Amino acid sequence: MSASKQTVERGRIEIRQASKVYDSAAGDILALDSIELDIEPGEFVSIVGPSGCGKSTLLRCIGGLLSLSSGEIVIGGKTVTEPDPRIGYVFQKAVLLPWRTIEENVLLPFEINGTVDDTAREKVYSVLKMVGLEDYLHHHPNELSGGMQQRVSVARGLVMQPEILLMDEPFGALDAQTRDTMNVELLRIWAEAGTTIVFVTHDIGEALFLSDRVLMLTARPGRVRDVLDVPMPRPRSFEKVEGDERFWQLRQVIREALA
Amino acid sequence: MNGKGWLSEKWLGRILVVVSAVLLLLLWHFLAAQTSSLILPSPWAVATRLVEFVGSGRAWPHIWLTTQEILAGFAVGSILGIGIGVLAAEVSIARRVIMPYVIITQALPKFALAPILVIWFGFGMGPKVVIAALIAFFPLMENTYLGLTSTSSDQLELFKALRASRRTTLFKLKFPHAIPAIFSGLRVALMLSLVGAVVAEYVGANKGLGALIIVSQGTLDTELMFVAFVLLTALGVTLDKCHELIYGLVEKRLYGKRSKSGSTGVSV
Repeated sequence: MSASKQTVERGRIEIRQASKVYDSAAGDILALDSIELDIEPGEFVSIVGPSGCGKSTLLRCIGGLLSLSSGEIVIGGKTVTEPDPRIGYVFQKAVLLPWRTIEENVLLPFEINGTVDDTAREKVYSVLKMVGLEDYLHHHPNELSGGMQQRVSVARGLVMQPEILLMDEPFGALDAQTRDTMNVELLRIWAEAGTTIVFVTHDIGEALFLSDRVLMLTARPGRVRDVLDVPMPRPRSFEKVEGDERFWQLRQVIREALA
Repeated sequence: MNGKGWLSEKWLGRILVVVSAVLLLLLWHFLAAQTSSLILPSPWAVATRLVEFVGSGRAWPHIWLTTQEILAGFAVGSILGIGIGVLAAEVSIARRVIMPYVIITQALPKFALAPILVIWFGFGMGPKVVIAALIAFFPLMENTYLGLTSTSSDQLELFKALRASRRTTLFKLKFPHAIPAIFSGLRVALMLSLVGAVVAEYVGANKGLGALIIVSQGTLDTELMFVAFVLLTALGVTLDKCHELIYGLVEKRLYGKRSKSGSTGVSV
């Protein structure tokens, strides 16, 4: 890939014949088998599949937290070999450091990078404002609800203005109501930030509500079962999406495919 | 009954402490009256002697020397304990080499070393500091190690995703995470240093609260011995309160004002 093409391909993810084998005492376990997928810059793609199908493994490989056994993942023209500064991560748990204030938690990526300055602090403020927590800068995580903590975690994932945001069942631990709110918020933030988002979930409705496309994986070993386009127009709201016949049809299709 | 009646549980607790203390003092008084003052002096005699001993200024050199021994031993043991705890947590080969020695030194009753330490270091502060340091060492090494290695895999993965170096991970994640465990180790170490210093004084010393106990045994001055017990207890409580105060400040700085109460550390 040439350097000039790299700028054009900001945020593009190319997954080529990606396979992952885990060593275990009982022998090798094939977790991912020849995954093939292109994700466009600025696209919102969800990964769904039965539990243990390797959704999180695939996400970790994209993020460079795990290495592939064969195949490759190319981000903006560069093969992933290690965690990449162009990628932000949001985990299933908020993983906030309890001894740091909200501001200090979101500042952490800059601190680790050694680039704390006024610009960094401004970015922390604006990203916390984006998730609606600008009034909680000096609070500690234990003073925030689970939903608020997860929003801080989203803010921390976005603060370095990554080209790609990887989200591993980020709202799985929240109650249904909070999760709905977070989903609406996430779409607003995504529209504002223009980031490519890869989102792992086991909730089919959530995947359809959020995504441009849904990648369905088979049970172990994880193979591409299908990639579905989600045609509902944006901006989306629960009323509009749930009033759309296609939402329920797709939901049924995925449900049957994963059964 | 849930303690929400005319008296809160807090006040009921305080009243019961006072009442039981008075009962214990009366029991002591009663027992002392049945026997010779050489065996059990009365609480009032001990109190009078305490006031006289402290008031005349004769108590201070003993208190001061023992305090110095405790603090010096505590400092040396803590620094070594934390240092070796970090080494064991961060360098796996170091852990493999250190652990067998640690287990052996733990199995050895360190007070048994007091006589040889007196031979080696004489009757001064040396052997007391060494004994205090030796027994303060272990809880700190243990708690530092446990604190540093008990970060969650989620936190480690976060730092990995943020491309943190090993050094950054140690200082920005593992150390702050280990603070409660280290402070809980410091507390145990402080109390053990006190025991260590006093026992070492038993073996060979002419000054200090432990030496005072041995001297009063030799002269059958039981009253003075009880005075030394009271002073040692007061010293222990004071040191513990100092620890509590310092940890309170650190905790407030780390977790803000609305921190959860109670120690979250690993106790030994």
